[in-house]
Amino acid sequence: MLDAFSRQAVSADTSGSFIGGAQLNDLKAFIAEGNKRLDAVNAITANASCVVSDSVAGICCENTGLTAPNGGVYTNRKMAACLRDAEIIMRYVSYALLAGDASVLQDRCLNGLRETYAALGVPSGSAARAVAIMKASACAHITNTNNTTGEKRKMPVTEGDCNALSSEAASYFDMVISAIS
Amino acid sequence: MKSVLTTVIGAADSGSRFPTSSDLESVQGSLQRAAARLEAAEKIAQNYDAIAQRAVDAVYTQYPNGATGRQPRQCATEGKEKCKRDFVHYLRLINYSLVVGGTGPLDELAINGQREVYKALSIDPGTYVAGFTQMRNDGCAPRDLSPQALTEYNAALDYVINSLA
Repeated sequence: MLDAFSRQAVSADTSGSFIGGAQLNDLKAFIAEGNKRLDAVNAITANASCVVSDSVAGICCENTGLTAPNGGVYTNRKMAACLRDAEIIMRYVSYALLAGDASVLQDRCLNGLRETYAALGVPSGSAARAVAIMKASACAHITNTNNTTGEKRKMPVTEGDCNALSSEAASYFDMVISAIS
Repeated sequence: MKSVLTTVIGAADSGSRFPTSSDLESVQGSLQRAAARLEAAEKIAQNYDAIAQRAVDAVYTQYPNGATGRQPRQCATEGKEKCKRDFVHYLRLINYSLVVGGTGPLDELAINGQREVYKALSIDPGTYVAGFTQMRNDGCAPRDLSPQALTEYNAALDYVINSLA
């Protein structure tokens, strides 16, 4: 598992060079933005169960066949497994966002996920759609622009520009989508 | 690779829980201290050649026959070059460790197995200690770097010296 700092160490070591100049400036920016990052992680973890259940409810509403007999989440057992998996994906995305590096997500969550889902008969299109809903919702929580349900659930944080962090989180969700579809 | 961030995430993962506020607090603490570490890392990246040269000179003042103790004086140039190469290598790993905020790079890329290697090559680890001691004496705050950065730099050097002792 790597983070933004050890990623630089590993890539510098392949060429045997010191870490200086531009790489250090990147890391200084990471530190300067550190509080924003922690707020962003907090924003998605605090709302995780809401984001997760919305995403699974969302795919069921969009595709009513899923809950019908022989559907992807027919029976409570499958629905519970689906909610559990969505929460696991959400958790690894929050780790990746905290670390500033995707390696924890790739190594511990996505590696072999496609094959597992294929073996279990999980409909990959619906799974990818659920991740896309989580992505939209999590990014809205990070930028504090979530108001889709009419009732705003916003975090009292110092106002700032979190677009970079929001697109970073979006890139981790995109990794999940491309890994399973 | 071990750092504060990966340790926190590893612990959260083994409990299969989201990062808690205490996890975020400890990351925050590490980020606050990171500025001094990066300053020290930057100074090493800029001055590693001079630092290593002074260490080599100190080694050959204390051990005129080189690291193996049986090197003829005529070969001293080659020995000094290898000695300097090794110090630059250690400085690079210290640079990484300061950036990462943990001893992971030093442990993984130098310290694991170093005792066996030096024993096989008949190198006296004391020669390295002499060089690192010189580095430790050379660092001066605030002339070279800020006091907090010097503390981090010295801590890394102490870690290497202890591994060789």
